[in-house]
Amino acid sequence: MTKEHTGSQPPSEIAVGDELPPFDLRVSPTVIVAGAIASRDFMPVHHDRDFAVAQGAPDIFMNILTTNGYVSRFVTDWAGPEAMLRSISIRLGAPAVPGKTLRFTGQVASKSVDQDECIVEVAIRAANDLGDHATGSVIVSLPLDHAAL
Amino acid sequence: MTDGGLDPLRAGLEEWIGKSLSASGPAVAPDEVNLPMIRHWVDAFGDRNPVYLDEAYARSTRFGGIAAPPAMLQTWTMGRPQIQGIAERGGSAGEIGSDNPISVLSAAGYTGTLATNSDLEFERYLRPGDRLESSIVVESISDRKNTALGFGYFVTWVTTYTVGPGEVVGRQRFRILKFKPGSDAVGS
Repeated sequence: MTKEHTGSQPPSEIAVGDELPPFDLRVSPTVIVAGAIASRDFMPVHHDRDFAVAQGAPDIFMNILTTNGYVSRFVTDWAGPEAMLRSISIRLGAPAVPGKTLRFTGQVASKSVDQDECIVEVAIRAANDLGDHATGSVIVSLPLDHAAL
Repeated sequence: MTDGGLDPLRAGLEEWIGKSLSASGPAVAPDEVNLPMIRHWVDAFGDRNPVYLDEAYARSTRFGGIAAPPAMLQTWTMGRPQIQGIAERGGSAGEIGSDNPISVLSAAGYTGTLATNSDLEFERYLRPGDRLESSIVVESISDRKNTALGFGYFVTWVTTYTVGPGEVVGRQRFRILKFKPGSDAVGS
């Protein structure tokens, strides 16, 4: 157990409007292919440039499971390992393609208490210079820190 | 923008709404939730959440032990791919039957596919040893729309994920636009 493991967000210190630390993902072919294969998505548009171009895409592009994987990482890197994701809802837009950095940003949209948990909704956005790749919200629950709240 | 009432193609799709696309029963994951696939995933994403791989740490959390990354939900039930012939099938990892609304739309010229929405819900995190099953129900099919990509139909389905007989562990609502490339597009 290392120190970096222990940093779950204390719910008492989370406020509506808080911004998550932005995360810049340098999207390369390797990033796209690694995500596609780890998620067991073998569609050629996610690893075969010639195939993707023939389909009208500018290049290979990120699959949706990979987008969800990075959204999950983005939120739990902030919320910490005690956080449990309840939902990830995204609307898909511009493709994530090699050479275009994808910037993940997020803001706490709401916070409520449900029994012994704090429920936090985070509005998220992942964008590159083509536009918004994904926008939506992630709901996460955290155990209440009984000392506060 | 809707261009009129229910056209004959759309009317023929009405019977699919609310129906299961898993006629032969739920799809069963090829493997139980397992550490090698979790490790492959977290390394691909550079995700260092200790709940996914550090058993000693994970035991100290409310998860009680290693849990799979929740976004892997769909990954567990992805079918084993048939790599040979994948391009000839238009990129599909396996054979796709013709008896579903997506194939009906493709056959009618609506060959383009654009994913527009994904909503994942997690009831609980999966643990190594869980064997996932999934079943798909068509939730809705829109009227014909005139979109920036051409005429098309939005198709929405819900995949329900269970462990064992009926313990629902998650759901995914997924929406795609099936469009006819090059058809009268707005603003072109």
